[in-house]
Parts: sequence; structure tokens; C-alpha cells
Amino acid sequence: MSLLWQVVVNGILLGGLYALMALGLALVWGVLNIVNLAHGALIMLGAYVCYYLFTGLSIDPFVALPLTMLALFAFGYLLQRYLLNLVIRAPMFNTLLITFGIDVVLTYLAQIAFSADFRTINPTYAGDNFALFGAAVPVVRLLAFAVALALTIILWLFLARTRLGRAIRATAQNLIAARLYGVEPRRVYALTFGLGAALAGAAGGLYGVVSQVNPYIGTSLTAKSFAIAIIGGLESPLGVIAGGLFLGIVESLTALYIGPTYADVASFGILVLVLIVRPTGLLRRTT
Amino acid sequence: MPSLLNVRGLTKRFAGLVALSDVSFELERGEILGLIGPNGAGKTTLINMISGTLSATDGDVTFDGCDLKRLPAYRRARLGIGRTFQIMRPFPGLSVLDNVAVGALFGTGGGDHNLPRARGVASEKLEFVGLAHRASQRAEALGGPDRKRLELAKALAMNPRMLLLDEVMAGLNLVEIEAVIAMIKKVRDQGVSILVIEHVMKAIRSLSDRLLVLHHGEKIAEGAPEQVLRDPQVVEAYLGRRRA
Amino acid sequence: MAAAPWIASPSLIQFGISTLLLATLAQSWNIIGGYAGYASFGNSVFYGLGSYGTAIAMVQWHLPFGVGLALGAVLAVAFAVVLGLPVLRLRGHYFAICTLALAEVMIAIVSNVDIAGRNTGLVLPLLRGDALFYEMAFGLLVLTTLAVLWIARSRFGYGLMSIRENEEAAAVLGVDTTLYKVLAFALSGFFAALAGGIHAYWITFLDPVSAFDIGLNVKMIIMAVFGGPGSILGPVVGAFLLSGISEVLSTEISNLAGLFFGVVIVIAVVFMPRGLADLGRRFKQFGWHYFAENVRVHRL
Repeated sequence: MSLLWQVVVNGILLGGLYALMALGLALVWGVLNIVNLAHGALIMLGAYVCYYLFTGLSIDPFVALPLTMLALFAFGYLLQRYLLNLVIRAPMFNTLLITFGIDVVLTYLAQIAFSADFRTINPTYAGDNFALFGAAVPVVRLLAFAVALALTIILWLFLARTRLGRAIRATAQNLIAARLYGVEPRRVYALTFGLGAALAGAAGGLYGVVSQVNPYIGTSLTAKSFAIAIIGGLESPLGVIAGGLFLGIVESLTALYIGPTYADVASFGILVLVLIVRPTGLLRRTT
Repeated sequence: MPSLLNVRGLTKRFAGLVALSDVSFELERGEILGLIGPNGAGKTTLINMISGTLSATDGDVTFDGCDLKRLPAYRRARLGIGRTFQIMRPFPGLSVLDNVAVGALFGTGGGDHNLPRARGVASEKLEFVGLAHRASQRAEALGGPDRKRLELAKALAMNPRMLLLDEVMAGLNLVEIEAVIAMIKKVRDQGVSILVIEHVMKAIRSLSDRLLVLHHGEKIAEGAPEQVLRDPQVVEAYLGRRRA
Repeated sequence: MAAAPWIASPSLIQFGISTLLLATLAQSWNIIGGYAGYASFGNSVFYGLGSYGTAIAMVQWHLPFGVGLALGAVLAVAFAVVLGLPVLRLRGHYFAICTLALAEVMIAIVSNVDIAGRNTGLVLPLLRGDALFYEMAFGLLVLTTLAVLWIARSRFGYGLMSIRENEEAAAVLGVDTTLYKVLAFALSGFFAALAGGIHAYWITFLDPVSAFDIGLNVKMIIMAVFGGPGSILGPVVGAFLLSGISEVLSTEISNLAGLFFGVVIVIAVVFMPRGLADLGRRFKQFGWHYFAENVRVHRL
């Protein structure tokens, strides 16, 4: 029984991080209708930025997170403004391809710059655990979970309550109408993409603390983010949390009861089923 | 002779919204029936349900004795139902000729399986609508009025027995409208029954044998054009809109 | 070109076989992605099924190569039909992602199936003589290209293209969109499977990760798109061009080859999204404006 509890706790903690990973992807997808195949690469870059802030300037990773997010925001903004905007009115397949190309470029540049070695961000408290009703909870994982959840809620509030957030949502729903209200789409698109990149960067930093990083983690993280975004639905950040938690627990349970190699099968299998049965996600608001 | 199209109690409900409510009418063979009504009355929804683009919540549609209920759009097309779209749907990357050829290849009765012959038919139809000089251009290069002509040509290439026209005259000038009216009459003379949605009053009046008026999803009048247009309910629908 | 094996060096022949198989894959993708407009990111599944079908037939049941190939092809087509029916209902992004997810799942499933040798894989009987494989691969490419040629000039092809350009309009003109999509998918899978079978026999060793290599999807799509999706020779030209350049770069610095691919895609998508085929056709008319025009039409 306590093993099950441990597995569920692991799943929840993992799920929180998963949700954060998927959040940036879902945001960009929902607003710009861009499926960003380079999303995982952005996560990877975030991890490396955080890593070098930690090893180079001795900044605690959780403190370095805002800096990482800022760096990735700037990168994402420029990427959207000067590159992605060039193809944004082309058939959607084109944006799929271009983000794929960007993914390849970023991966290989990272390999040249950082080498293929695995890295981990190891603050002094990395090995500490504490007990939660009999389950061992690593401190870093709990912190990561808390940060992920906090960022998600902040994003949700931002989109719902601030002027800029509403402008973003308006642009997502109706570009022409939004323009009539004075929204400048190029800026909003670049801002939104930057936001998505910042979230990816945060997820990367956290990922670097709880797991290992090398230039090639991007692709599978992108795939995982898709699964979460689609299963949770693209409607709202809260849906993405649900999707992340769901998948985290499913993977943990699958690893325990069926076998570790089946964890990915479970995730992608569920994705396929969800797509076939209900493409809008498991959480559907009645329209 | 029984009517070609028989619509009984056709209803369409979206979650929380009734787009069409209990609409019944008949389209006789060789007739041009005009379908009018203010914006949002449900005219395009009605056409969508006859062509199979949208499913019906309730009611029956019978075409030449055939119950259309479970038939998907492509089967209805093969029965001889052709339509144009209000928001035009060309095949942008294909040439104008090829656009129309698709209609000839797949239309009534499954179309013509012979490609060169189908392209020949396409050429004829392009001549008919006045687009022959643009045959080899890409469809996406066409301007508004030409796109309308293309829509018509595609539907005609299907060799339809019934044509559903959705606002083919919007945005055209008087000369172009006259030309389209003449075209539609010629099509009818070739034996095609036509249901036309139109906002241009002058055109619909001179074109239609009968008129059908929809308002808020309901049929409010049906009959000869002059009589229908004088009907006080119809006048009120157009001039004095009630807020829903 | 067919005479190459007798005059070229062994390493060139090997490069030729790889490239011919890749070109076949690109061409097979062209059928579902280029003509029907459904960008499948999972055609590697058909390639893998072809590989494993052939391998299992030869290794576990001791059947000859031809039978193995046929088995692999049947497997792929069955898969295409059974999964195609639900999955082809998805549009755009969703279809792409679903096929990608399917590709991932297949690897994991096959890794756990005994008859396929699980994780350790299968070893096929050895057949010496690269020349023979070269001719087989060449023949397959010719066959696939002829199929595409037929499609482009047939009622079936017009139906596919109409689906690509505007599926709803195609339906009201009388095109049975579901049937045609599944047929295109199955055809695409058929040729990919044959390529997989030849490849398996050639390298004599098969394991799940390399047979269902996700990277293949990427390669075949880039080659087809760069060469010209929806054209007859585009994917072939794209495959040879990109393979050739990548090979040259590989001998210099291996990282650079990968980087090169990425940069090429980005630039191509911005300036020549319809591939070389379209560039070739319209350059005479537009000159250098062709590139600027593509940007102008698609930018925000």
C-alpha cells in the first residue's frame, strides 16, 4: 500500500513539472496556432542557462529561474518577431516544418557549445528528502512542483485579469476584431511566443534540477508536451495542469505495474486514443 | 409529376440555439425557387442540410424519391445535387480548368472516369460562365467576381439535376448581375431545378418562379414573388427587426 | 543510373542504396502528404512493419525473401486501413501529432513482442552482393515514381488533390473523401514497407529503434517538401540533393551535416515553401522576385 502511495506521490510531483512543460506549448498553440516542434529545445536551453548560472555564478537554481525565464523570453520574442512571423500566414504545415528546422539547429548548436555530456544542477539540498505520510519526497521535486503550480496559476490570472492578457486572448479568438480594438498583432504574437518560451525555460531549469540534461532531450520532451497539452485540452492553463497530473500518475503507475519500458507506450497510447475519440481533450467545456 | 425536392419539418438545433425550425416546402422540376430572408434567417443552414454539409436534428429531405437522411455529402452530390458556397471554396493550388474538372470527374452518377473527356467538359463550362481565358491560371489568383464564376462552373460540371446557389451575386455590379441572371436561366432551360439564395432583390425577383421567405429559422411566406414581397410579415422582417 | 553498381566504388554503391531507399520513402510520403495533403509524421511505422514482416518471415518461418517482402507489405497495408479510418478523420496538426505518437508507440510495442526478437532484435540471413540490393532499390524507386506518375494523371489523383486543397468542397462535388484518404495512406504504406523490407535484408540486422527510426520521418518529409510535394520528381531530386550534400558535409564535421539540414529547412520554408519543383517552374516567370513574393504573401 505504501508503495502505491509512493508511486502516486511521484506521479503527482512529476505531473506538476509535466504541466509546466506543456503550458508554453499550449499557449502558443492556442493563440498563434503554431505547433512549436522546437518547444523541447527551448526547455533544453532553459536548463542549460540555469545550469551555467548555477555553476558559473553560484546562483541557486530556484533563484536563477526568473533570470532564465527572462533570457528565454527575449529569445522567443525575437524568434517570433523576426523569423516565425514570416511564415505565419502560410499553411500550418509550413510552421510545423520551420519549427522543426529550428529544433534541429538549436540541438546541434547546443551540442557544439555544451558538448553531449549529461549535466545536472546539484544544489546542496539536492539529496534531502522529507516524509509525507510514509512516502519519501525529495525536497527539490516538491519545490519544482510548487513552482510549476505557481507559474501556471500566475499565467491563468494573467490571461484572465490583465489588459495584456485579455488582448492576447482576444487575438487568439479573432484577429480582425482584435485589430479593430487597437491590438497590434505582431507585438502580441511576439509577446505570447516569448511568454511560451519563458515558461519552457522555467520548466527546463526545474528539469535540470530533478533530472539530467543533454542537448538531445528536446525531442521527447516536445512529444510529451504534446500529449499533455492535447489530453488536457488547449482551452485553459488549468486543463493543462490536469493533463500533466493525469499523465504523471499514469506513467508512474504503468512503470510500477506493467514495466518501466511501457511508461511511454501508456502516454502515447492514451494520446492516440484521445485524438481519435475526442480531439479537444479530456476536459471539455460544454460549448 | 411529383416534386424533385421535398423538405418536411426540417429542424436544426445547435446547443442552445435553434437555427432552423420546422421548415417544409417543395421544389418542382424545372423551377427556380428563390430563398430570401434577413441575415441570420437560416438560409445557408438550410442549404447545408440539403447538401449534406450539416446534419439535420429533425425532419426529412427527399430528393427524387430518395430519402437523404443518412447519406453523406458525396453521395448526395452523386445523386445530382450541386451547390455553391457563399464563402467561396476554390481549390487554390489547382488551375481553374482543373478546379472545374474535379466537378466533371466526380459529379452526378459518379462522374466521368475519363480524364481528358472531363477536362473537355470543364472547358465547356468555363466558356459558359465566361472564364475560358483564365483556364490555366491558378485558382488562388482569381479576384472576387471571377471566383463566383468558378464556383458556378464547378457545380455545373457535375451535371447536376438540382443546383443550390448561395449568394452568387454578392459584390457584383449591375452588368455582371445581368450576366449571371441570364446564365442561371439558361441552366434552368437545360433542365436543372434551382434553389437560389440571394439578397439582391431586383435579381431574385426577375429570376424566381416562386419565393420562399425565412425569418429566425422559420418559414414566414411562400408563393409568387409579387405577392410574397407585399406580404406585411415579410416587409416587417426586413424593415423592422425584432430583437431576439 | 541503373548501371552504376558495375562502375562505382563499394562505398558509393552503399550510399546509392541508402539514398535510393530514402528517395522511395520520400516518394511514398508524397502520396499521402504531397497529393492528399495529410502530413503524416508516422510513415516510419510502415517502413518498420515492412522490415519486421520480412525479417520474421525469413528468420522465424524460414520463408524466402519475396514472400517476406509480401508479408511486410500486407502488414503495412492492413495497418494503414485499420488505423487510417479513425486517424484520417483528424485534420492538420492533430493528424500530424497522432501519427507521430503512433510511431513512438510502435517502437515500444515491438520492443516487447517475442516473435520480433524483443529489444535484441533479429538477424537475417546474409546475402552477399550489394549490386543486387542496389538494383532492387533502384527498381523500387522506379516503381514508386511510376505509381506517383499515374496518380498525378488520374481521376484518383484529382480526387486526392481536391481533398488537399479543400476537403469540404471536394465532398460536395462527389469525392468519397474517406475512401480516397485511406487508399492514399495504404498506397503510401505499401511502398514504404517494401523499402523497409529491402533495407532489412541488406543490413541483415534489425532492432526496434532503428527499424522504426523516427528520424526517418523527418528525413523523408524534408526531402519531399524541399523537392516539391505534389510533384512527380520533386521528392526524388530532393532526396538525392540533400543526401549528397549531407554526405559531403558528414565527411568534414558530422555535427555540421545536421546543422546544415536544419538551416536548409528554415530557409526553404521561408523562401521556397513549395519546393524545388515549383521554383523550377516559376523562376522563369518571376526571377528572383519568386523568393520575395513567397515572404510577402505569408508574413504577418
